[in-house]
Parts: sequence; structure tokens; C-alpha cells
Amino acid sequence: MRPLDWAVLGCSIVFIVGYGLWRSRNTSTTQQYLLAGREMPWYAMALSIMATQASAITFISTTGQAFADGMRFIQFYFGLPLAMILVSATAVPIFHRAGVYTAYEYLEKRFDAKTRSLVTFIFLIQRGLAVGVALYAPAIVLTVIFGWPDQLTTVLMGVVVVFYTTLGGIKAVTWTDFQQMLIMMAGLFASLACAIWLLPADISFLDAINLAGAAGRLNAVVLEFDPNDRYNVWSGLIGGMFLALAYFGCDQSQVQRYLTGRSIAQSRLSLLFNAVAKIPMQFLILFTGAMVYVFYLFHQPPIVFHPGEMKKIEQRADAAALQSRFDEAWKAREQAARDDPSAIKRHQSDIDAIRKESGASNDANYVFLGFVIKYLPAGLVGLVMAAIFAAAMSTISGEINSLATVTVIDVYRRHISTGGTDSQYLWASRAATVFWGAYAVVTAKYGASLGSLIEAVNMLGSLFYGGLLGVFVLAFYFPRVGADAAFTGVLLGEAAIFAAWKFTDISFLWYNVVGALVVVGAGWLLSASSGQTNPQLPPPTPPQPSGPASR
Amino acid sequence: MIEEPPPILGTWKRLYAAIAAYLVALILLFYWFTRSFNR
Repeated sequence: MRPLDWAVLGCSIVFIVGYGLWRSRNTSTTQQYLLAGREMPWYAMALSIMATQASAITFISTTGQAFADGMRFIQFYFGLPLAMILVSATAVPIFHRAGVYTAYEYLEKRFDAKTRSLVTFIFLIQRGLAVGVALYAPAIVLTVIFGWPDQLTTVLMGVVVVFYTTLGGIKAVTWTDFQQMLIMMAGLFASLACAIWLLPADISFLDAINLAGAAGRLNAVVLEFDPNDRYNVWSGLIGGMFLALAYFGCDQSQVQRYLTGRSIAQSRLSLLFNAVAKIPMQFLILFTGAMVYVFYLFHQPPIVFHPGEMKKIEQRADAAALQSRFDEAWKAREQAARDDPSAIKRHQSDIDAIRKESGASNDANYVFLGFVIKYLPAGLVGLVMAAIFAAAMSTISGEINSLATVTVIDVYRRHISTGGTDSQYLWASRAATVFWGAYAVVTAKYGASLGSLIEAVNMLGSLFYGGLLGVFVLAFYFPRVGADAAFTGVLLGEAAIFAAWKFTDISFLWYNVVGALVVVGAGWLLSASSGQTNPQLPPPTPPQPSGPASR
Repeated sequence: MIEEPPPILGTWKRLYAAIAAYLVALILLFYWFTRSFNR
């Protein structure tokens, strides 16, 4: 990175953190710290929700995925707008009217304490596992640039995020997210523009699209239904909808965003903005990856993009022969790109075979960064780095903040200190934020062994989201189902998900469907067979005598 | 808590229907994009 890049990166981070702390300067109660006093406008929540979802993983891994596998990952988001509609129509008004801090607090009002505790436990496990991965992703950035050890970079990132999240609470998180989202969009457009602008002069934008298509990188919609295929339009619409329903309806890191809204309408608008903007944004990110692929049709890439792996290859006895074969295969592919695009796929297979022979693994995560660092002009590298850091910080701060909220509201205030003062809970929230920040730093090192990071996070979520979603569906739509049936249903749903994971080959997107259906089915059947129903329902009304005959 | 109407289209149901229609349009657009360019 050049001095201008450092200046852009440094100024961006200082400005974002400073702005967030300034906007949250009057935070003095637990409600202000955890729910921003319920006074946030829709546009701040909307960008905060999008920023929390768009992690550094999104930038680093999604672009790499389009480079390696094409754009079919976009289908993963097709179910999201449907989920936004359902969450807006049901969960938002229910949570708002219940006046809760967390989604799980509502479960005790609806069912009982043990169901709330079980779901709280599932959330803490699931989100706790994911927060380390979210922190590991930007560590890749600094490892690639400076060769710094992962642990040092995760500590540095963790300290910055914990600093403003601890001091300002959710208001700081939301307003920093707002700024971070703007920087992310700027970084995204800059990367896409450069990938196109740096193509050879005789390659037009339309040529670039045709070349990406010839290489099979524009496979945005796959209509064939195959439950074992990870991404097609059906798994995206159905599985993606269930995953998004679980994420936005049951995951505190999202629920907490729209609970800060000053009204039901404001919270709904924040979600519906997401429904409109999310798919085009993901399309742009994936399209950037496809354009980077086209760029490397005319600029020779390294055998692998990870500098450490590349050094290992260079030390092999057959390094020169391997490099020579790679050069030939790349030249053949470049020639095909100019003369016969239909042959690109065949030459790509040769390149893939050489990469496989070199022993490289998980290289998709390094493609985009390798491109940015080597080819983008001074200033724009800093902007893209700022976007990646912004994405990382927004996700980690949101996750740490929600983990701290659940720890304090659903564990500490519910089970440990039930009659504490507001000041006590405020300080407990700050302490919990520091704890979860430290936990994220410690567990980040395991992110290295999880393959494609974007898939790892979604995969982890899918193991638990089905159970969470099922119990909330029971709570919202099955008023007669009682607490014991719901509790057992969650356990059976989670068992079904883990069985599907261990013993079948179905795509992880379907785990949410399986889990939610088992929870709802089991909960309903158990409730009906045992005769136990929701005690909050009014007792059945006895038949009323009516008409003159009864007099 | 009184429910406010959305700022456009008058009712929430209409706004939800518009977003569902937008989703269908996006999928059709991407399908055309795939059919036209991907080989």
C-alpha cells in the first residue's frame, strides 16, 4: 500500500469510529445502550441491517466465488425479499408491541422460561461460532498485504470494534454501520470500474460480458431442481427464504436492529429497503468477481493467489516445470479469449488441473485481494481496504452487540440478577461486550480451516436456524401450541438437522426447511396429542343458547 | 400502538405485493441475462 492508500484507510476508520461515538454520546441507560432509546429512523436501520449482513467475507469470498464458480450464488438471495415481507407483516409488530429487548424474551411471554433458555443457548452457540469467522476474514487482508500473523491482525481489529461498541452501544453500532455501508458501496463501484477499465483497449464492456459468459461465469439462474445442488432458483427461493426468515425473524443480531425503530412503520421500511436493495448489491459484487475473471484472461495471474502458498510452490523441485506448463496453459486460454471464446472452458480445465497439482486449497478467498493490491491505482486500494474493514467492523460490532444483549437480558437479568438497577445492567452490557469481543479474537484462528468463508458462515447458521425459525413460527401462527410441545419440537428439529447434515447429501440451504418443518410438525402433533395448549388462550366458550327455542 | 400507513402505495399489503412483483421481475431479468450470455 502507498502513503495515499494508508491515508484513505486511516481517515476512513477514524472518521467512522469518531462519527459513531459522537452520535452515541448521550447513551446513559440500558435501553439507550441496547435499543438506542427506540428512536432510530428507518434509513439508519436499513443501512445498518445491510452493513451487518455484508461482512468482509462478502467482499473477499463472494467475488472469489464468482471468479471460480460463476454467479449462481446470487440465487441464494432470491428468498430474501419474501422473507422480508413475512417478517415485516408478523415479527415486527409482535416484537414491537411486546416491548422486548430480545426476540427470546418474547418466547417466555409466549411459552415459558425453559423454551426461552433453550433458544437463547442455541443462539449463543451459533452466533458465538460465527463471530470468530467474521473476525478472521479481514485478518486474511492484512496477512496478504503485510505477512503479519493472523493473531496480531485479529487482535487489532477486535480492539477497534470493541472500543466503539463498548462505549456507544447499539447507537454507535448503527451509525457506524451507516457510514460503513456508504464506504462499502464506494469501494465496490471503484473495484468494478477498475476491473473493466483495466481491460485491453480492444476489449469492450460487451466483449467482457460475452467472455465471462463463454467461461460459464454468468450462470445467474439455474432452473433445474436438484436438492443436492447448492444453488439453483428453487433452493434459493425456498431454502433461502427459510434461512432469511430465521436470520431476520429470530437472530438477535438482526432483530435488535429493527427493535431500535421509533415505530412499526419505520422498522418495516428498514426491512423492505433491504428486500429491494440486497439482490442488486449482491449481483454487483458477483459481477465484479466475473469481471476480475475476464481481467485475468488478459493479465497473467499467479498459479495461486495466496502469497504463502505461492512461495511453497516456488520451493518445489518441479517449480520451473510447473510454472512453464501454467504459462503455456494461460497463453492458450488468452488466445482462445481473443480468437475462439468457446474454447475458454477447455483451457480453464487445464489451468485448474495445474492449480490442483500445485496443492493449492481455498484460493478463492485471495483472488479479489490479489487483484486490488496489484492493479488498482493509489488511493483506490486504500478505499477498497477501507470498504473491507468497514464490512468487517459492521458485522463484528453487530454480532458482539447482540451477543452481549442476549447475555445480559436473557441470562444475567433473567437468571442471575433479577432485581438489579439500570446502572448495573448497563455496566453488565459493557462487560459482556468486552467478553464477546475477546471471545471472537480467541476463536478467530479456527476460521482458517473452514474453506470458503462465505459458505462456512451460512453453513454454520443453517445447522441452528431451522430450530429457531420453527419455534417462532409456532409462537406466531399456532396459538394453541403450548410450551412443552414447543420445547420438545425444538429439540427434535435440531436432531433432524444434524441427522440431515451427517447422513444425507442435501444442500445446507435445505437444513432450515427440514428443521423448521420438524419443529412445527412435532410441536403441533405433541400439543394435539397431549391436549396441552397455550394457557394464555381464553378457555373455550361453552355453546350459547340461542333463539326462541331455548327460552 | 397505532399502525402508520407506508409512505407510498397507501397500504402495507400493496407495498408487499409491489415487492413480490419486483422479485419476479428481477428473477426474469437474471434468467434472460443467463440465457443471453452464459454458455
